[in-house]
Amino acid sequence: MNGAALDIARQIRSGERTAASVLAETCARIEARDAALNCFTARTFERAQREAAAIDARRSRGESLPPLAGVPYAVKNLFDVAGVTTLAGAKVNADNPAAAADAYLVSRMQEAGAVLMGALNMDEHAYGFTCENTHYGATRNPHDLARVSGGSSGGSAAAVAAGIVPVTLGSDTSGSIRVPASFCGVFGLKPTYARLSRSGCFPFVDSLDHVGPFAATVDDLAATYDALQGRDARDHACAQRDIEFVGETPMLPAGTRVGILGGWFQDWAGPAARRAVQMAAAALGATQWCELQSAAFARAAAFVITGAEGGALHREKLKARYDEFEPASRDRLVAGSLIPASWLIQAQRVRKMAHAEALQLFDRFDVLLAAAAPDYAPLIGAETFTINGRTVPTRATLGVLTQPISCIGLPACAAPLWPEPEGINLPVGVQLIAAPWREDLCLAAAAVLERAGVSRVRG
Amino acid sequence: MSDPTDSMVTYVRAALALQGYDFSEERIAEITQQFTRIESIARTILPPEVGADAEPDRGPAAVFRP
Repeated sequence: MNGAALDIARQIRSGERTAASVLAETCARIEARDAALNCFTARTFERAQREAAAIDARRSRGESLPPLAGVPYAVKNLFDVAGVTTLAGAKVNADNPAAAADAYLVSRMQEAGAVLMGALNMDEHAYGFTCENTHYGATRNPHDLARVSGGSSGGSAAAVAAGIVPVTLGSDTSGSIRVPASFCGVFGLKPTYARLSRSGCFPFVDSLDHVGPFAATVDDLAATYDALQGRDARDHACAQRDIEFVGETPMLPAGTRVGILGGWFQDWAGPAARRAVQMAAAALGATQWCELQSAAFARAAAFVITGAEGGALHREKLKARYDEFEPASRDRLVAGSLIPASWLIQAQRVRKMAHAEALQLFDRFDVLLAAAAPDYAPLIGAETFTINGRTVPTRATLGVLTQPISCIGLPACAAPLWPEPEGINLPVGVQLIAAPWREDLCLAAAAVLERAGVSRVRG
Repeated sequence: MSDPTDSMVTYVRAALALQGYDFSEERIAEITQQFTRIESIARTILPPEVGADAEPDRGPAAVFRP
């Protein structure tokens, strides 16, 4: 990559480079690299030219430039982009009219000066953890083209990992930012539920959907997250909170207590994931183990809520156009639409119970550490994977370590590590989890790992 | 005592019909398999007794608030 996001913005601000030249280089990278990876489903180069020209014009007039001036980025194709049809990874949406306006977060990025390069591939309707999309192809892992990028925000993670753009946006209902960040070896932030507005995003599971950024450095991730914050009444779930800026170079306060999540989070972590947790724990000075006793319940609750809400959302189209849905998930969607109401209500009760237990953990710890995925990225086409002796369906189970956390809405930053047993050059991520609204701690803990050289993005 | 597998098939068929789906036997078998998996996971959270304070939030926008 030709510079991280904040470096690009600084260079444009100083006049060392122009937004137009950064754009030209980014277009060339997309042309050169995307054919092998399949990150992009739409390119918005004309819009990018307008946005880059506006930044250069502002500088030539002597105006101060916004924080992400001239920084190229791209968004998962469930974000509305004016003039582009919002696919949400689905063939059944391909004939929909183009979006009339940008999603709220796209408009925030534009206000911050960023330059939109296009829309990115994903699992259909965000229901999957591999980004193997029958209609639009699989997005491949830049570190091994035979492996999945992870999902559902696979295009978003792979585009950053490949150095095509320094920043992307994705969504995370059950792990769809943290799992692909882990597999592709980039940083990703799933903020607290209700922190960032989802207006203008194609929904999946309203009571679980989160949105957030990917980046190649923690500073870029924090700066992008800061740019995305804001009150937006159009998303009924969006908390009407004041913006709480993290700022560049987030620092972990002295005396921060980091706990290592055992139990469920060790049971479902394979050897490489456990090694990644050990490496991160050593860098953070964490020695105390703890358990979220209700993790299994929270994961099950997330599974039921996802099935029921996702199935209900698509029920009418499933009845009329079943054959056009993703073959790998359409039967799960229909099955979800049959879930009895009593199970869904019980899942919401269990969710609240698990949330209460997690809050008690934060009396003892400020940050919790766990693996972000059970293992390295699986091979494309792998129907099952085996972890600690259990063989389970790949697409539905890769989020087993992330689902309990998103179920209870806690903020979590995925940071990439390289455990490298037996010379395997693939990343496995960890989650840095904090109490609600403490994204600053998640990012600061990731920055500790980055500064220690334990966590980094490899080109 | 009824066979749980039969109960599952009966439920899925009835629920599909009630919701207006019209699928082939092959599709129904696939969906039943998926529903069986969901049920096996859902079963793990049906026993916990939770108090009234664990009821989902109520309000103008009944959304989960962390």
